[in-house]
Amino acid sequence: MNDRAFFLGKGGVGKTTLSGAFALSLARKGKKVLIASLDPAHNLGDILGTRLSGEPITIEPRLDALEVDLAYWVDKYLNESRAQMKANYSYNTAFNLDSFFNIMKYSPGTEEYAVLWAIEDIHCRLGPLYNVVVFDTPPTALSLRFLSLPVISGLWVKELRQLREKILSKRQTVARINPESPIAASCIDKDEDKVYGQLKNIGLRLSRLELLFAKESFISVIVNPDRLSVDEALRIQEELNRLGIPLSAVCVNKKGISDMAWAQHPSLAGYPQFDFDFTREGISSREELMAVGAQALAAHFLNRAGNQ
Amino acid sequence: MSRSFGQLIKSAIKTALQVNRDNATDLLEFEVRELENIFSLLILGGFAGLPSPPSPIAVELLPYLEKELLVLIARADLAQDPIGVLAGMMEVG
Repeated sequence: MNDRAFFLGKGGVGKTTLSGAFALSLARKGKKVLIASLDPAHNLGDILGTRLSGEPITIEPRLDALEVDLAYWVDKYLNESRAQMKANYSYNTAFNLDSFFNIMKYSPGTEEYAVLWAIEDIHCRLGPLYNVVVFDTPPTALSLRFLSLPVISGLWVKELRQLREKILSKRQTVARINPESPIAASCIDKDEDKVYGQLKNIGLRLSRLELLFAKESFISVIVNPDRLSVDEALRIQEELNRLGIPLSAVCVNKKGISDMAWAQHPSLAGYPQFDFDFTREGISSREELMAVGAQALAAHFLNRAGNQ
Repeated sequence: MSRSFGQLIKSAIKTALQVNRDNATDLLEFEVRELENIFSLLILGGFAGLPSPPSPIAVELLPYLEKELLVLIARADLAQDPIGVLAGMMEVG
């Protein structure tokens, strides 16, 4: 399975254009494709000439598109947690919850998590309806943070689970020796402990996302023929290596934008490379998007997916 | 009379056994409370500047952590006198 594609790169290199052209090429080759923009500053709808929302909208036969609304995902999860707390906690402990959750909206990490939740929803709920899902990602900093979250958070969750197991095992010992102890009245069984169950559930979701990024995705980095975008691509490559996420292809966009001599960096030269010319007039229709020339990249993707 | 005397003995033995059980698990119960406190600190410490998992994980766990939160608050009340708590535990003085 390699039917999820992510396009990464520095802001302005053409991630939305190339992911749109790639999705359109696949759709016109007969695949049912969903393209999802994860960039908070959406412009996928502008490229496709349609106003998009959080749910798939049909652009043309076999091509649907959506733009993830991160504020919706942040609100959804905070509201679910708030409702659950109000139900579980006694009145006094749950007092002043609203101001706590208002602060949480702007807490560091919440936006990256919202991207993860959105990817999980697209992958699990919408993914089975399509042959391929293409993700147009936000600029590098946010993309690398959400790609690394499953690994980093997974480590935390693993440690917390081990600590919880230790607590439950000690509670069991107390309950065996002294059934009258107040500790014996608390939860002592892993299967009944809601905190342990929730940690297990979070761990499973994170490992599913880790697997999605590391084994089931076609990750492509886009560069322009300039030093800044290549330097950023090298940093992306280094970070992906650290996370165990393989890079599948390098796309050189806006080739011919300048007459200066340019050669691909040796560290990126070993990957399948696809070149795209600079279009001075810009993209204003889907036919012009097709003319970008992503057919070779789409064919490479399909051959690769077919071979796996 | 003899029946009530028997009951008294029974009740005395039961109390003695319970005191023994309480003594046997005192330290273990203290350890469990400390572990619960550490668990809560690990999850919620991010809000007070301690290294902790990303805060959205804390938000997902919070609905089930009322007991741990109460332990954390009670433990914070005793934090000014850790030696006193330990001495009390060990029945020193």
